[in-house]
Amino acid sequence: MASVSFEHVRKDFGTATVVHDFDLHVANGEFVVLVGGSGCGKSTILRMLAGLEDITSGNVRIGEREVTHLPPRERDVAMVFQDYALYPHLTARENISLGLRLRKIPKAEIARRVQWAAELLELQPFLDRKPKKMSGGQRQRIAMGRAIVREPAVFLFDEPLSNLDAHLRGQMRHEIARLQRRVGTTTLYVTHDQVEAMTLADRLVVLEGGRIQQVGRPIDVYKAPANQFVAGFIGTPPMNFLDGQLERDKDELVFVSDALRFPLAAERRPHHAVDSNERVTLGVRPEDLTLTDTAGPATILGQLVLAEVLGATTHLHVEVGGRRLIAAIPSGPSPAAGAPISLSIDTRQLHFFASDGSSLLLGSNNS
Amino acid sequence: MRRAVFYVVLALAAVAFLYPFLWMAATTFKSPAEVGGLSLIPDQPTLDNYRLMWARAPFGRALLNSLFVATTITFSVLVFGSAAAYALARLNFPGRGILNAVTIAVLLVPAQLTLIPTYTLIVQLGWVDSYAGLIAPFVFNATAILILRQFFMQVPRSLMDSARLDGMGELRILFTVFWPLAKAPLAMVGIFTFMGAWNEVLWPLLVVRDEQLMTLPQLLTVFSLGGGAGPRQLATKLAAAMVLVVPVVAAYIFLQRFFIESMASTGIKG
Repeated sequence: MASVSFEHVRKDFGTATVVHDFDLHVANGEFVVLVGGSGCGKSTILRMLAGLEDITSGNVRIGEREVTHLPPRERDVAMVFQDYALYPHLTARENISLGLRLRKIPKAEIARRVQWAAELLELQPFLDRKPKKMSGGQRQRIAMGRAIVREPAVFLFDEPLSNLDAHLRGQMRHEIARLQRRVGTTTLYVTHDQVEAMTLADRLVVLEGGRIQQVGRPIDVYKAPANQFVAGFIGTPPMNFLDGQLERDKDELVFVSDALRFPLAAERRPHHAVDSNERVTLGVRPEDLTLTDTAGPATILGQLVLAEVLGATTHLHVEVGGRRLIAAIPSGPSPAAGAPISLSIDTRQLHFFASDGSSLLLGSNNS
Repeated sequence: MRRAVFYVVLALAAVAFLYPFLWMAATTFKSPAEVGGLSLIPDQPTLDNYRLMWARAPFGRALLNSLFVATTITFSVLVFGSAAAYALARLNFPGRGILNAVTIAVLLVPAQLTLIPTYTLIVQLGWVDSYAGLIAPFVFNATAILILRQFFMQVPRSLMDSARLDGMGELRILFTVFWPLAKAPLAMVGIFTFMGAWNEVLWPLLVVRDEQLMTLPQLLTVFSLGGGAGPRQLATKLAAAMVLVVPVVAAYIFLQRFFIESMASTGIKG
């Protein structure tokens, strides 16, 4: 086990820079999830740590050891791949033990570790089968078994659950969380799936365009996104955005847009000075919108386009002045499509973003 | 009805292909009086033709020579060819594109064109009348490299990554990960290489004069054309031809099964 440090790591492919000045310290035993859309550089970062991709500049350390230029086998990392990457001509047992055999670990020790992994991951029934004769979930467990028997300093997961169906994905997610807690190995996990990111991570690293957008505990990232990208990326359905401006009205700060005009609650005021008439974007989470009958200042009038009943929750798609907002409300009798509708905004839960996308609240509220 | 016509046509085609071969096999067991006939069953079967053939020229030795030469060539084409294919398909190094282009360009050069220069080279090296002279020009094969490269490019990258993390070097990845996956293309390249080497006549005729080093098709040619079989001894010549053909047909029947099996089992995704 060991900590992991990236120091000013950069990666170029030809003339394109896919990772810019990446700096991150992962503590010993920590579970860090790298999340972002496709092409954000998250897999490249993982592959650079594994030694599968050259590092253009910067340093990578595992524990006290500088590994920037070491080949993969000398880095003491184990990786689980999206397509499992099992050797098709070997049985599950051979797949799991191959890395140990190549490292000349004594036979008795190999047998002991395979046994341990098999018990931990419930692999016994298919240890002597080849990958072709296994389901996706079983193969993924074999791939995990192969990683843990190595007892590496760091686990790397590269979208390990993307090829599984929804039900199995949930199940394997719990297994990964349980496994990591049991063995306590430092883990970097790459995904584009928010549920995985939110539920597995001790800390979340949100990436976009090869740059870190935000690092923090999942709930902090959710509650206090550093910028409009993070706000829109984390959360399902995504945060609603409304363009407008902030105006000073005596002692109050007022948000003004075509559809709205309301004073800001004291705790959601931008912590640094805002020039009057500055263009800002208001961000409202779908769950911070509620159906209302009484017209108040922070009430939006719109037209219901679509009501998606998910069970306990219903997503109302509402058209407001040419824009589409989504409200997540508890299921119940809801208006018919096309009906006029009023939504009340919970003004204690607002987000404001400057025209460059950065949050105007960050630093003032981290709850 | 259409099916019946289909089978009749197939049967006729089969007869057309098989009859000459069966006739040849039958003739080798016939006595001199019968040799010209169309019958497939000898009236008085005899092994005289084989005895004669065996006595007049070192066919046993030629059979061993051919086996040794063809096997060595096949083995090196597979080993060197897959190593080159692996490098061209999966390793990043400067000049890879040029090497790829050169490999393809080699295919465009007819073998006849390189015959004389290669011969001169072998003479300079002093490899005339040696196994080295028979084998060396064929140990690399551009077609084999291209076929294997094409297959190797389809092996998932994660499998290589995984092997590297498991601690394998490139050669080990090639022989313990790629080879088991590439059974079908390796079998195909192996069969064609072996057949090509086994049937090669022109090159051995150029570089080997010592009867003890002659390959089977070469000795057969020399034997038939040089009058070793004696005038009008068609059956003896055909007996020699049988020695050439039977191992190949046997190998083909055996390998075909393996070939189809390995084709069916290369599904990497499952």
